[in-house]
Amino acid sequence: MANRANRPPAAAGRSPLGRRSFLRISGSGLLAAGLTGSLTACGGGGGGSSSKNLVWWDYLVEDARQPGIKALIAAIEKNVPGLKITRRTFPYAELEPAIIKGAASGDLPDLAIIDNTSMNSLAPQGLLTDLTDRVKEWGQADAYYKGPWSSGVVDGKTYSVPNNANCLALYYNTELLESAGVEPPKTWDELSAAARKLTKGSTFGLAMSAIKTEEGVFQLLPFLWSAGADLDTFATGGATALSYLGDLVKAGALSKQCVGWTQQDVNNQFTSGRAAMQINGPWQLPGLKQQSKVKWGVVPIPVDKEPASCLGGENWVILKTSGKADQAWRAIEYSQRKKPLAAYLGSVGLLPARSDMADSGDWATDPTLKVFVREFGNARPRSYGEHYPQMSKAMAEALQATLTGSSSPGAAAKKAADAMTPLLSK
Amino acid sequence: MTTHSTPMKVREPVVFTGDPAAGGGRRRGGSLATRRTRAGYGMSAPALLFLGATMLFPLVYNLWTSVHQVEIGDLVTGDWAFNGADNYDAVVSEGAFWHAARISLLFTAGSLVFQFTIGFALALLFVRQFPLAGLFRGLMLVAWLLPPIVSGTLFRWMLDADSGAYNELLHTVGLDALAHNWLTDPSTALPGVIAANVWVGVPFNMLLLLVGLQSIDPTLYEAAAIDGAGPWQRLRHVTLPLMRPVAAAVLLLGLVYTFKVFDLVFVLTGGGPVDSTTVLPLYVYQSAFKLFQLGRGAAAGTLLLLVPLVVAVLYVRRLRKEGAAA
Repeated sequence: MANRANRPPAAAGRSPLGRRSFLRISGSGLLAAGLTGSLTACGGGGGGSSSKNLVWWDYLVEDARQPGIKALIAAIEKNVPGLKITRRTFPYAELEPAIIKGAASGDLPDLAIIDNTSMNSLAPQGLLTDLTDRVKEWGQADAYYKGPWSSGVVDGKTYSVPNNANCLALYYNTELLESAGVEPPKTWDELSAAARKLTKGSTFGLAMSAIKTEEGVFQLLPFLWSAGADLDTFATGGATALSYLGDLVKAGALSKQCVGWTQQDVNNQFTSGRAAMQINGPWQLPGLKQQSKVKWGVVPIPVDKEPASCLGGENWVILKTSGKADQAWRAIEYSQRKKPLAAYLGSVGLLPARSDMADSGDWATDPTLKVFVREFGNARPRSYGEHYPQMSKAMAEALQATLTGSSSPGAAAKKAADAMTPLLSK
Repeated sequence: MTTHSTPMKVREPVVFTGDPAAGGGRRRGGSLATRRTRAGYGMSAPALLFLGATMLFPLVYNLWTSVHQVEIGDLVTGDWAFNGADNYDAVVSEGAFWHAARISLLFTAGSLVFQFTIGFALALLFVRQFPLAGLFRGLMLVAWLLPPIVSGTLFRWMLDADSGAYNELLHTVGLDALAHNWLTDPSTALPGVIAANVWVGVPFNMLLLLVGLQSIDPTLYEAAAIDGAGPWQRLRHVTLPLMRPVAAAVLLLGLVYTFKVFDLVFVLTGGGPVDSTTVLPLYVYQSAFKLFQLGRGAAAGTLLLLVPLVVAVLYVRRLRKEGAAA
């Protein structure tokens, strides 16, 4: 920095005229570069309809999932004549930034499988194709669970079809619970008592994620909803949920470290025996079934006033910039037919969002999968509109302020509610 | 004391001026000079184009974004509404921005003080020849060569309260009272992050200061010793005054590097707990890529640039004044 700033005066002293013409030349060079950039952007945005390539983005990057997805793509290509699919994958946290960058450079896919919370910000931005008419003609919306389906409906218009759904439940270490004489808890009181009783030595009673991202909020919301509250009553209901969790930390039954844990970290605590119970999702099932260190079971999240879980999962969307919405829709439609859907969801370890599939395959027979599938009835989507990212940040900070003891539950909840209230009415 | 006559000589090998053409007789006028200038620009054109495309363009693009109402949808439509200083207004009226600015200043000041003092002390050690000095110096550089993601993960693990090496060590030696939840306690998360950054930055400081120390003429020390100056006096009256220009350059570079640190903090704490380690670059990232307020993010990014820029300008002025005085 020092060096560059150092130079211009010397150059200016030497030949001001040369410098000016240099600026002019480099300026027009830049302009030209910028123009070419935007021209290519227009070309990309137009869809480049000459090719039959359908560009597909997702973040399902785990090795174990690749054969299933590849088989699905092959089946779609076979079923929709002339269609070629080019797939590109991203790590989970990179997909949204990639879409932002793609919007700036004109390099967006035709279709994508995105986190259902992304619907909050992407749909109102006009980035997604309105699928309302196509869905109406298709006529299968009723076959889906209400929660997952409504995550794709914004202002009465349908922008996505759920690919799969997930939600949270309580995993417990069978041996630790038995030796402590504790039954899997069903209510908040039982959970709190069990967590305290199970805390011994280096083992904490409960592990959950309270990290300062959407993951932490995903885990907090079931407690908020179960207390009979929602985002618009966060000042009171939020205080109830926060003080419940804060008391667990104070009692030493939930590690303070949870404010830095992702859900994967939480699962690592559980499988290494450092947590007797954990709150986590069905995506941990394949890994848990493979390991033999810990014997475990799973039950719904304990309830305060009403049963609640937070709905996660992925939705299919067609980008508005795509010139091939019809082909993209045919790909989505094929993927949602019961037979191929059952085949690839089963092979990649995801749960269907269609309620008419809950009684088929592993989902009907595997008792652990059944717990999650049944919870879908109580699972709520986070459909709070365009300003949800700000609300999520406010709730994450309230959660962290409470669990680290830097703020009382009441004060933290009020601060978050004050930040969220004007955004909710927008 | 002899100090006043020599500082320029000492500075030469370290300071990054490197504009050898600046000294030559240039005003001979006529066609030769013009031709020379033209050839010079021709030869530096590739470098200038590269700088323009990779540095100037993003800067201008950022400035342009910062005075428009831009959200993701607008990126596609290209419909950017000019909104003057609205983004800047929104940013400076947000408490979170000033909080982040405060955290950034504390982070930078804390990092610089310790990086510099420890770096200087180590440079004083390594300027002496002793067995294995080269090996140790090389080992120190490892900290600097590691990608921030790796150093961050390393420190995250070491400072973990339940299973971290740091608390484990204290436990082993019976100092459990000093064990602490470094990164998950809002009052100590920032010191924890600073400690990690100091570890990363010490080798850089040490190396530059060492080069400065090595370029001090040893006869000065001899002369001082003959005049009866002890080790402390030699440090105080010979080393420190002669190191001033080098120290200024090291601190300035350190300030610029430290003020923009993003990855290390991102890996260590993600800005938390709550917002106790949200430095400005993290705030900018969150505005743009997490809250989708691209215009605001760009405005905050521009403001973030101001601090190092002001410091750099002050530094260059001072350098020029010194140059003129010499």
